[in-house]
Amino acid sequence: MAKALPGYGTIVVPKDREVPFGAVTPAPVGTQKLFQTSNWRVVRPVRDEEKCTRCLQCYLACPDACWVYKEEDDRLEWVGDFCKGCQVCIQQCPEDGALVAAPELDFEGGVVRLDKPF
Amino acid sequence: MAKVHEITVWARGVLMDKEGRDVINIFAQAAQAEGKHAQAFDNYEDLPDRVLVTVRKYVRLSDEEITHKYVYTNDKPEVVVVTEATIVKGIDVLRGMEPGGTLIINTNRPLDSMLKLLPNANLLKTIATVDADGITGVRTVDFSGSEGGVDATGIGKGIAAPIVGAMAKVTGLVKKESLAKIVSDVSGMERGYNEVTIKHLTPAVGELVGAGKHK
Repeated sequence: MAKALPGYGTIVVPKDREVPFGAVTPAPVGTQKLFQTSNWRVVRPVRDEEKCTRCLQCYLACPDACWVYKEEDDRLEWVGDFCKGCQVCIQQCPEDGALVAAPELDFEGGVVRLDKPF
Repeated sequence: MAKVHEITVWARGVLMDKEGRDVINIFAQAAQAEGKHAQAFDNYEDLPDRVLVTVRKYVRLSDEEITHKYVYTNDKPEVVVVTEATIVKGIDVLRGMEPGGTLIINTNRPLDSMLKLLPNANLLKTIATVDADGITGVRTVDFSGSEGGVDATGIGKGIAAPIVGAMAKVTGLVKKESLAKIVSDVSGMERGYNEVTIKHLTPAVGELVGAGKHK
């Protein structure tokens, strides 16, 4: 659709590329399967079930929402596909030894194997 | 056209970006000092400014002038160098390799444990590990030498030195003496050359029809 814009001449936007002004484009709900970042990880956080006090500092600190708290079971789940191994949760954990960094190569699976970086 | 040796170096963004870049620059400069033609490309395709993201660096060596200048990615790497062992788990580092290639990994873990992480290990003729972190363990974070700029902090001070030493021994593409003129940490490079663990494999040729094309 061609539109005359003062000072810019006529602007042509092909019909299939057109987005209405102020439009909301669809975003993934939940997890983004196309942007799995687990292969950025060198170490992964490992939680000690006994020492964990459920203070949820890790849940609050994680930039990628990789700690999920299941309230009904009083359980913390780690989302391995998106954890980049940034260790913010380990830094924030107030309990000594409740969260530790373990080398990723010590584990069998857990990392998404990609053909290309992105 | 003479054979072009393609070397791809895998590193991680920011923390190992300079070390990966040093590996390609040292190797290319040493080859040029020996009269070879060389091209070295820093990363343009991946995300080198994001911490820990896997990034690639490329070197090409040839006895004659390398005619293709505008494509910087190595589609069929002959040698793959992994500067951080966990990358082997998360990325198909041997992608595009033709049977009979070489893989060099910086790790202190046993060589066979690395082979287990490679579903397409049958492409390899040689696999080698070098404990570059055990030898120097230094990683400089600096971007002054990227995108063709002059490196302000000197090249080959950290883990790049043992890795290029290991590469020289495993591939035989450049001489140790040429490397010694370029790297800052000559003793680290010598240790990498001497302490590299090499294993020769037999590529299963019969099974490998079209293996280089796997995507």
